[in-house]
Amino acid sequence: MKALISILIFLTTTLVATAQNANDILKKMDEVLYAPKDMTAKTKIIITDKNGNEKTREAVMKQKGTDMRLFRFTAPASQAGIATLSLPNDVMYLYLPSYAKERRISSSVKSQKFAGTDFSYDDMEAKSYEDKYTAKLLKTEGDVYVLEMKPRSPKSQYSKLISKINKENYYPVYTEYYDKGNNKIKIATYVFEKIGNYWNPKEVTMTDLKKKHKTTMITYDVKYDTGLSDEDFSVRKLKQ
Amino acid sequence: MKTTSISLLSSFFLFLATAFISAQEEETKIKFSGELKTDQRFLYQSPNSWAWNENRLTFRLSKKFRNDKGKFHTEVWLRNIGLPEITTSSDLYNKGIVDPYNLEIREAYVQLYGFLSKNLDIKIGRQRIAWGTADLINPTDNLNPYDLEDVLDFGRHRGSDAISFDYYFTPSFSLHGTYIPIFQPANMPVGVFADALSPEIVLPPPYHLENLNDNIDMPKYTLGESSTAGIKLKGFAAGIDLSLSYVWGRDGFPTPSYNTISPGDNPGGLNLDIQSTYFRQSIFGFDMATSIAGVGLWAEAAGFLPEKEQVMTTDMTPMFPGSPVPVTRDSIVLKKEMFFKYVIGADYNFANGMYLNVQFLHGFVNERGRENLNDYFFIQYEKRFFDDRLKTEPLQGAFIVSDWNNVKDNYALIYSPEISFMATDNAEITISSAIFAGKGNNPFAKFADYDMFLFGFKYSF
Repeated sequence: MKALISILIFLTTTLVATAQNANDILKKMDEVLYAPKDMTAKTKIIITDKNGNEKTREAVMKQKGTDMRLFRFTAPASQAGIATLSLPNDVMYLYLPSYAKERRISSSVKSQKFAGTDFSYDDMEAKSYEDKYTAKLLKTEGDVYVLEMKPRSPKSQYSKLISKINKENYYPVYTEYYDKGNNKIKIATYVFEKIGNYWNPKEVTMTDLKKKHKTTMITYDVKYDTGLSDEDFSVRKLKQ
Repeated sequence: MKTTSISLLSSFFLFLATAFISAQEEETKIKFSGELKTDQRFLYQSPNSWAWNENRLTFRLSKKFRNDKGKFHTEVWLRNIGLPEITTSSDLYNKGIVDPYNLEIREAYVQLYGFLSKNLDIKIGRQRIAWGTADLINPTDNLNPYDLEDVLDFGRHRGSDAISFDYYFTPSFSLHGTYIPIFQPANMPVGVFADALSPEIVLPPPYHLENLNDNIDMPKYTLGESSTAGIKLKGFAAGIDLSLSYVWGRDGFPTPSYNTISPGDNPGGLNLDIQSTYFRQSIFGFDMATSIAGVGLWAEAAGFLPEKEQVMTTDMTPMFPGSPVPVTRDSIVLKKEMFFKYVIGADYNFANGMYLNVQFLHGFVNERGRENLNDYFFIQYEKRFFDDRLKTEPLQGAFIVSDWNNVKDNYALIYSPEISFMATDNAEITISSAIFAGKGNNPFAKFADYDMFLFGFKYSF
């Protein structure tokens, strides 16, 4: 009987410790990814189809905290000027220069592909992982932790994510995305570089396994902590 | 005196703006962009008449001032539109007839951010002031004149020469104001839809219309007569975008005020002279937009209150030459009572790339008065393929009811499926159809003979 109690205590302690570790890792990853108060950057998006044909999009991006982002396309000409503003509580606006006004967009757009890329609006969302997912530590291997992350929201297009997190610096290096049928549908790989005190995801590649299609997002001219205010993430700025 | 006031006011603002601009060291480069667009349509019905021919070159120039203190922006259309209408050999000497084209300044303005106060933005010049949260058809969007040239291009407006401002109390709570010194009427449809929005003139037998003349009394170009002004309070609370607005302006469509009927040269023939004016009105607006459970929702309403009762006098004195007194009859065209136009709509993005948008509209752009507003149901279903390069809209159109007591004789149906393909990043080919059916006195029911094929090509640069 004592042995059984000991095993139960051991198992419970281990499970709690594992869950806590996983959530701690997730929290630390958020702290690394969202450490800067704000960020301004240029982005080059290269979309490659299964035949190797490439298309390029360019944009400028501003971000503050974990839930404010302004993304404005600068190329190609057919998309230049189109901008999206993401605010807390799934409030999103789209600005199309030809309509001369902003348009509130429904949060169902989050499951859609972002501007023809392999990223969905959901993937592009600047929201902390801890807020979006519950985590379980599957294992540690080499210099990474392997986490299973399940969406907190039932509306998510994914059933789970399996992510490899760098043990030393807590940035993600690899993520698998699973659909509601538990099929692996996308893979993301990351290349981080250190700019000042912060780790910057200078290159993120998302591959759609079914379509054999990939998108590489390269971030450059990155500036951190320039003092962006909430006003910089307003409809006023979106229309400018 | 009033003209002088307008000039002084304009000069004052221009002076302030010029002083402000010169204070900025403009360092950004001018951005040049645009589109080449062709739009060709022919009727399905034999002999397949050409319904539309438009080749449009859009030029846009914009320049941002240093430190995002403002911008200059202009958009110009250079178009070859319409079909050559050559009737005599002398027309062949007129290049404007042989090869019809026009140049249109859609927008040309300077916008200054943080002008005098960090919370104030002003915009001076020709500008589009787009109001409303609904999709394409906005009952509250009444500052710019309607551009109804292409009646299938719902919601298009021309720019107005105006001064406007936005004052931001907080990032999500603002006050907008616009002053437009010169009244601009709506321009009417051209091509096969030229008569689409004109009221039908029906005479009792044995009379028939022999000649029709019309005159329009434009408002005098004075501060009080030709001005339009608008104000809008806009905010965001509890996840909902809301606004309240007011416009003091003139209706953009001419309203008949005095008709003279005289005998024609033939038995039963009548000549009709119509005199029209643009009446003044107040427009009270409201709109909202939000997203609930992933569904985008919006509503927009405008209450139109004519300043005076609109009375049409029909003078039949020439028909009764022996009458010692004028023979006239007055009829009320529009009562001095508020009538409401409104839109409610919703949209949803499905996970597999499908998009659905539905709207209900009460009162189209040309409809006036409580008893004359029709009901419109719009639907747009979209599905994208091949990494968004191919966009299909197999279900797109509208159902219109002009009399709920007798729907089968008072309806219209528009079905306009469309396919567009991005051949390259900047080149888009579009083919579509517009199929019309209907009965009754509804503008779209009159289009039943105009089923057409549409081809479009757009290259952005």
